[in-house]
Amino acid sequence: MMNAADRIRLRHEFEELLYHEAWLLDNDKLEEWLELFTDTLRYWAPVRGNLEPGREDLSRPHLLAHFDDDKTSLTLRVKRLRTGAAHAEEPRSRIRHFVSNVQILETDGPARVKVGSNFQVFRSRWEGTEHLFVGCREDWWRRIDNTWRNEERFILLDHNVLENMTVFF
Amino acid sequence: MTDWAHLIDLEKCTVSPRVFVDEEVYRDEQERVFGRCWLYLVHESQLPNPGDFVTHYMGEESVLVCRTASGKIRVFLNSCRHRGTRMCRLDAGNAKAFTCPYHGWTYDNQGRLIGIPQFKEAYYEELNREDWGLIEVPRVESFRGLVFACFDENAQSLDAYLGDMKWYLDLIFNKTKGGMVALPGLHRWNLGGNWKLAAEQFNGDNYHTGAAHESMLKIGLGPANGQFLGDQPWVRDFEAKLDNGHGWINFKIDMAGGVPTPLAQHMERMQSTARQRMTRAQSELVGCVHVGNVFPNFSILTFLGFLTIRVWHPRGPHNMEVYSWGMIEQEAPPEVVEIARKMQILTFSPSGIFEQDDGEMWGNSVKALRGMHRRNFPLNYQMGAGHGRTDPDKPGLIHPPSTEIGIFGVYEQWQALMGGA
Ligand code: FES
Ligand SMILES: [Fe+2]
Repeated sequence: MMNAADRIRLRHEFEELLYHEAWLLDNDKLEEWLELFTDTLRYWAPVRGNLEPGREDLSRPHLLAHFDDDKTSLTLRVKRLRTGAAHAEEPRSRIRHFVSNVQILETDGPARVKVGSNFQVFRSRWEGTEHLFVGCREDWWRRIDNTWRNEERFILLDHNVLENMTVFF
Repeated sequence: MTDWAHLIDLEKCTVSPRVFVDEEVYRDEQERVFGRCWLYLVHESQLPNPGDFVTHYMGEESVLVCRTASGKIRVFLNSCRHRGTRMCRLDAGNAKAFTCPYHGWTYDNQGRLIGIPQFKEAYYEELNREDWGLIEVPRVESFRGLVFACFDENAQSLDAYLGDMKWYLDLIFNKTKGGMVALPGLHRWNLGGNWKLAAEQFNGDNYHTGAAHESMLKIGLGPANGQFLGDQPWVRDFEAKLDNGHGWINFKIDMAGGVPTPLAQHMERMQSTARQRMTRAQSELVGCVHVGNVFPNFSILTFLGFLTIRVWHPRGPHNMEVYSWGMIEQEAPPEVVEIARKMQILTFSPSGIFEQDDGEMWGNSVKALRGMHRRNFPLNYQMGAGHGRTDPDKPGLIHPPSTEIGIFGVYEQWQALMGGA
């Protein structure tokens, strides 16, 4: 078990990391953003529904998702945005990520940490088509060569009906 | 009601922008198109047990689809008879009865009013419950597990309505013994754009792929030869215009990066099963890319092992709400289901790298067409007009991609329904 001071230090470290990540996304440094993830990444955002309490079982096999990417397919998404022909992002949307409620959820030795955070992502397109995406993330970060790298990102979007999604979370 | 026939010019093959942006046209369309045509609801595999229900839409009407104790599927307006409150607020579940949240009237899953609070004290037992059951959608029929409903009591049968489309739907839904089953979950998203722009694209717009999906070619996730056309025009690579406004696109491409081995093996197995189950002409087409639309707003698309089926719900002339499911052959091993599911999410979902660009186009069309001046100038649907042929091997009017023969069929059908006073 970690003592309180270590915990606060760790949380602070991840707050900085997550703010940095948001900065990368907002400033179109997507290639740098990809480097935060390990090659074994799962980047997963299951679909939600309006169901009775207890019936929303996100572990159901083959459940549809808004994202279920590995590093290769996530990289492909970024490459596509760089072709100059990804019309849904031409010209690029104005995007802002807000990250809050950062929490150390679990540790697995000194080199593996599960971090929770909430997000709001604002997107503005064309003259004034605006969308807000809200949800939370649970990430497993692993310390490799003195750098934290993300090997699993679980994204829970709080929407039942979504929009065309051209943004990353 | 107004006669809107003049908005379609059958001789010139043109369509007035008002068809896509006019509020009055849209209002009449709700009654004359969505009130008369067969509308897709659900696949039977999504309601396996008695008591299972899903809520859905037919046009703008919220409906409750129930599997009753006898196994029959019945469809009701999801609205209480007392003050009209939306009865069931869940997407899906299992229930024998539904209680209205407002004053507590209760209906069973056959629509009968079975409970009224203070029936004695407040109603003096004078209310005739039989008169106040849920409003039922009169016609519900299915084809290969695809359940459709229709508000028009006197409509032709679903079988007759689908007509030649059945031959093509069979390429997907009848190629194996187990048929297709739905994956759990539903993609729902809002899009700008008139619902017909999406429907017509799936009906027969292979022409857009090169430009709209140019980014896919640039990253190598497209056909090896850079064209979504195939190399057997008329035979395997074609579009078919079908009766009642339905349409089909069929072509085979070799993907630049190949396909994962388990998926390739699975597709080969499907093809050999199909050979034993259907005519030679049909089985030759199994495993191709299929895209189609059942008029008005039910579309299908198979690509890289997955099948997405979807409904473009109208939400005013300028917006739609998309419902999209994932399906796969009942026989597919879990490993293949996962490959197909991930491929569907990556390519054709709200975050899909093909889908995103289509979504961008439809919203931009209605934005640009809305102006009072722009709407005086018709849209061009002339591509290939007069060059279609019939084919002894397959139904419909055939033409290789690209053509707008099939797409214009959507508007011929639309005109037939929207014309006359
Ligand atoms: S509105 Fe349903 S009981 Fe009153
Ligand atoms: Fe497309």
